[in-house]
Amino acid sequence: MDQIDNVLIIGSGVAGMEASLMLSKAGKKVTLVEKLSLIGGKTIKNEETYPNMDCSTCLVAPIQQEILQDGNINVLTSSLVEEVKGDAGNFTVKINKKAGYVDLVACLGCGMCYPVCPVELVNEWEENLTNKKAIYVPCAGALPNVPVINAENCLQLNGTETCNKCVEACMFGAINMAEKDEQIEVNVGAILVATGYDMLDISNIKDLGYGQYQGVYTAMEFERLFAANGPTEGKLVMRDGEKVPSSVAIIHCVGRSQTHYCSNVCCMASSKHAHFLHHKLPDAKIYNIYSDVCLPDKTYQKFHEGVKATSSKFIYQLDRDKMKISEENDKLKIDYLDNTGKNSSIQVDMVILANALKSAEGSGELKEVLGIDHDKFGFVEAQPFRIGSIATSKPGIFVAGCAEGPKDIQNSVIQSEAAVAQIMSLLNR
Amino acid sequence: MTKISKKGVLLEVKSGVQTSILQFFQDAVEKKIFDAVMLPMKVPSGDSFAWIMIEDSKIIKNAQPLAPIMPVNAAKALKRYTRKGKGKFKVAALLKPCEIRATIELTKLNQVNLDDVTLFSYDCVGALPMQDYIADPKEGDAKFEKLLTDKNWNSKYVKPVCKICDKFSLSASDLHFALNDQELLLFSNSERGEKLITDLDLKVEINLKKWQTYIEEQKKIKLKNKEETYKIVKGMVEGFENLTETFSNCIGCHNCSSSCPICYCRQCYFDSSVAKPNSDVVMMRAEDRGAVSLPLDRIMFHTGRMAHMSLSCVSCGLCSDACPVNIPVAKIFSYVASQTQKTFEYSAGASAGDALPMKEYRLDELGELGELVKSAEAQEGGHE
Amino acid sequence: MSEKIGIYVCECGPNIASKVDIEKIMQELAKLEDYKDKELVIKNHKLLCSVEGKKFLENEINENNLTHLVCAACSPRDHDTTFINVCKKTELNPYLYQIVNIREQCAWIIPDKEEATSKAIRMIHGGMDRVMYQQPLEEKQLDSNPDVLIIGGGIAGMEAAITLASKDRAVYLIEKTDKLGGKSAKLKELLPRQGVTLNNLQQKISDVQSNRYIKVFTNTELDSIVGFLGNFEIVIKNVKETDNTTELLAGAVVVATGFDLTNISSLDSYNSNKEDEIYNALEIEEMLLANGKITMQNGNEPTKVALIHCVGRPEVGYCSKTCCDYLLKIAKLIKDQSPTIEVTELYKHMCLPNKHDEEFYEQVQGKGVDFIKIKNAEVHGTTINLTDITDAKKKLDVDMIIVGTAMVPAAGTAELGVELNIDQHETGFFQEAHLKINPISTNTDGVFVVGGAHGPVGISESMLQAQAAAGKIFTQLIPGQKIIPEVKVSEILEAYCTGCQTCLEVCGFGAIYFDEDKGISVVNEAICRGCGNCVGSCPSGSIRTRHFTNPQLYQEVKEALR
Repeated sequence: MDQIDNVLIIGSGVAGMEASLMLSKAGKKVTLVEKLSLIGGKTIKNEETYPNMDCSTCLVAPIQQEILQDGNINVLTSSLVEEVKGDAGNFTVKINKKAGYVDLVACLGCGMCYPVCPVELVNEWEENLTNKKAIYVPCAGALPNVPVINAENCLQLNGTETCNKCVEACMFGAINMAEKDEQIEVNVGAILVATGYDMLDISNIKDLGYGQYQGVYTAMEFERLFAANGPTEGKLVMRDGEKVPSSVAIIHCVGRSQTHYCSNVCCMASSKHAHFLHHKLPDAKIYNIYSDVCLPDKTYQKFHEGVKATSSKFIYQLDRDKMKISEENDKLKIDYLDNTGKNSSIQVDMVILANALKSAEGSGELKEVLGIDHDKFGFVEAQPFRIGSIATSKPGIFVAGCAEGPKDIQNSVIQSEAAVAQIMSLLNR
Repeated sequence: MTKISKKGVLLEVKSGVQTSILQFFQDAVEKKIFDAVMLPMKVPSGDSFAWIMIEDSKIIKNAQPLAPIMPVNAAKALKRYTRKGKGKFKVAALLKPCEIRATIELTKLNQVNLDDVTLFSYDCVGALPMQDYIADPKEGDAKFEKLLTDKNWNSKYVKPVCKICDKFSLSASDLHFALNDQELLLFSNSERGEKLITDLDLKVEINLKKWQTYIEEQKKIKLKNKEETYKIVKGMVEGFENLTETFSNCIGCHNCSSSCPICYCRQCYFDSSVAKPNSDVVMMRAEDRGAVSLPLDRIMFHTGRMAHMSLSCVSCGLCSDACPVNIPVAKIFSYVASQTQKTFEYSAGASAGDALPMKEYRLDELGELGELVKSAEAQEGGHE
Repeated sequence: MSEKIGIYVCECGPNIASKVDIEKIMQELAKLEDYKDKELVIKNHKLLCSVEGKKFLENEINENNLTHLVCAACSPRDHDTTFINVCKKTELNPYLYQIVNIREQCAWIIPDKEEATSKAIRMIHGGMDRVMYQQPLEEKQLDSNPDVLIIGGGIAGMEAAITLASKDRAVYLIEKTDKLGGKSAKLKELLPRQGVTLNNLQQKISDVQSNRYIKVFTNTELDSIVGFLGNFEIVIKNVKETDNTTELLAGAVVVATGFDLTNISSLDSYNSNKEDEIYNALEIEEMLLANGKITMQNGNEPTKVALIHCVGRPEVGYCSKTCCDYLLKIAKLIKDQSPTIEVTELYKHMCLPNKHDEEFYEQVQGKGVDFIKIKNAEVHGTTINLTDITDAKKKLDVDMIIVGTAMVPAAGTAELGVELNIDQHETGFFQEAHLKINPISTNTDGVFVVGGAHGPVGISESMLQAQAAAGKIFTQLIPGQKIIPEVKVSEILEAYCTGCQTCLEVCGFGAIYFDEDKGISVVNEAICRGCGNCVGSCPSGSIRTRHFTNPQLYQEVKEALR
């Protein structure tokens, strides 16, 4: 069989983007498939990244721009891989590109279509904290800066009534309601799975109060709360749009008893949240409730100690399964066992639950399509050690980033660069 | 910083201080401690002095180590000498304290290399203004001789910058000839100096305390002079009107920067094409202001030179000596330099170990901003 | 050739067109006094960056034989490269073009249309003035050497060597001891999650030795190195006979010099001497390799063993990431050796960053190992006085203590950093180019840091990092490919340089060297990135950066300041 020199990369987070650019520089053609309508993955949901509080847009935007302008990289957003046949060196892949109804080339991103759309929907990318229209980009600054139309809710597309408001508002004739899903077939020599992670759904975990009490947030909701392009433009107000919390508790290791693994990034993310809160609300009381603190990089401890010293009180809880969150007198009450095993409690306005990471939605189906093994947690199982932990059970298919297991940005990038080495070795054989 | 030795060597002064110093150098060269010594000597063809590199020890006695004028700052001479050919010849040089300071500044800019040079300094009464001396050299010689014999540290005959110089004594040299009202002492000021004294087998017996007290008293007088003079100078340069008036006679000869030991640039910025704009720039300015003087930038030359070198200015006064229209450049630059150097807590030429302020960056220099940065770092744990 | 300047004003859809008077701009530009003798082509376009717009621009340049080009459009961050690429398709040198940002710097920030229009005209005028002073710079092409020097023959170095070596790419692997394998060769066993046995590690060593594209130099270290990505000149020397040197040429360097473990004798909370049964993990592994079991100095098995985590951590200020894992491994080994040995682990935080670690932890707990979370501990001989997390004070008398000590950079790291011109992080490990998005590269192009030299790291991660470096090298240094160094670099004017070397000190890329003969500083144009630090620092103004010279910048702002 002929060796194909192209590569398929599934997932456009930091791992997928790094691999795309590296391979393009080496002259390889890359098909970058992304299930959402924007590229950049989870990193762009953070305002700042630890430990240096780098603005994540500043970090990622130049990379996104480069990818979108790179002649060797074909970016397919709103796309899913449906079928894979063949072997290492020669895979045939069928990709379904969902119709977005807006032309990528003609659309300028001027934004004239949003105000006129009559349909309002909840914005899942913004953790349901705000709404979007039926024609939307998930956030300000999304790249590509081209909206898509949610067909199920668009009045025109779901057949409810004739509505052409966005079409009329568009000066460039970029909207085409007749667009259909596209079936794209590519031939590639290697595949990289970089589908990332999602957060564990904790609404069913007892005694956490998430979904029950207004003041309880997940870590990702909080990230959007303090993002400058987020639902409140970075203002720290609670769900009613007005209340500013005077006290906040950040709970580590939420859901860990379910997952049975440490999610690697949350201790630092929680320290980052404490740091941020202290800067925005210098008079607020901030607590971090933890059991073990995991700081697996040479730069993390210094940051953490700084936060401990200046921003938050770190409280050890003896048994995280015994923690209970309830409501009392308009405040959230957290009952926990202190270090001596005694019952203790604190009362706060806001609780942030640092919930566990798990493999991304839809990655299970993807693994079936690709025919690769997953471990008992649902992450892609990498072949340990023999050729380095980024080859999957199927030769020619590699994994990088949180698709393989929870890890920080740095290590996702390292895995992605290692995957490129393996891919290059494979293609140049 | 090397510790000042507490004791020194007593040198014989029966035949006079100058002779004593010359004898010392003659001995050193004869003993082959040095290959040559650089000293001022009266030039045979006139009435001026020049720096002479003396290799033949017999000629040393013709030199005049404590010369009445300073036509060239020794730092410049050393610059040309040490440019190439490191490691071949060991030389000694006897410099005024301001020349030592200029030399030290130039080492920081890699213009002078002191590997093979042993620097000697001495307590300096000052130098006579060039123009006064040239007008009547015999009179000048006599005046200066009297200064030395009388040990007059506050003479009215010396250059204006010498009158206010409180740094006329110990500087960053290797060895120092200390003069008090009666004695001539030699003591070491560095490891190299220590070694020399040991090599020459000199007896280090005299306590320096008496000398130190003596010098401190003279310094007080000089400092008072400085304070008074600077007050006057401040009035001469504060405000645009005063500044322009003070420099109104300037003919743009650039003698001051040519003679300045610190101005080492091969082509001064103010001699480059930037300072010689073409006609459209000139006319554009003329259009904007109605009229414009030619050449365009006279005040700019001086203020620019202040900005470029005042942090390293050692107040040696060569600039005033060189000015053909008698603008008191030295006093002015000395005053400005004292202010700029104070801002950076820097003393030009005091020590080779002090980094040039423009090459070094300290958080505390930023004042309030520096405090903010420091506290932010403490909180964020390592912001880059 | 007479000059013909093309000025194209982009409307950017409604973005620019609705905020400034495009017609007026074009009219005023045509009337400029200082250009009345020059040929101008002034046009507008709806969207220059579109496919159609780019084609339009290309045609305009060709058909009008433009000698200079000004595009009044958006931010250079968006489309400077776009228009440069258009120029590259034509005869027009891309450095005779200038972009003027009348969107972010004009249309988007000035509400008054007249004001915005007037500013736009001035800005474009400035751009025209500037472009007339620009020089047609030519990109150079340099041959690049694809070979790689790897410093350090431990697991990271070996992995990089094996991944990289091929018939098109030679690898030189230098190791300062007489054996390959580094710390990994001293191990008896690996973690279960690592999935393989030690045979795999030993296999690596023979793989390296038998690979004909890898040249191994043992008892060798780096003597000196100069050069840049694709072109390093290296001298290596024998560790003992330092005059015995070899010269090599390579295009990239991988630093894999590894780590050491802190010595407990330097820690205040440890009061013990040689006779005491206190071992660090490597010593235990050595013992296991030699005897197959863990015994005390008298040859007997211990009855009580304590394993202490985080030793030296407060002093170094970071977590060493691997010790919780390997102390669990050792605890399990002890229990496997003899279930009756009492094993206690004292830890401050159980750091289990890998997805399989927690499972392993539970397995070890199941073996009857006792785990005590402590606040602090003091060791005298083999007696431990500790305060546990409940604030209770306890005393533990044991036969043997095994300490998980902090990982520190290997000896000689600082000196190597100076030689390679790569920065050190405040912890002593090497500093990455960017902590998050460029974690294997350093501030010097072509030099990568992996493994223990990078920071505390386990074997799997070391190997991944080694492969990441290989990935970078595969994609940056392709055999046969030319390197195109930056064109807009600094140059030092020989006639004015006084050799004060201030520029050398401020250059962050090591791109300036001092010519002893001429007594002046010289810019190595292949390494220079054109950052301009040297220009600002030069006391005599002898340095200028191409494409950003004083006259060019002056022309650009002249109009704005009029």
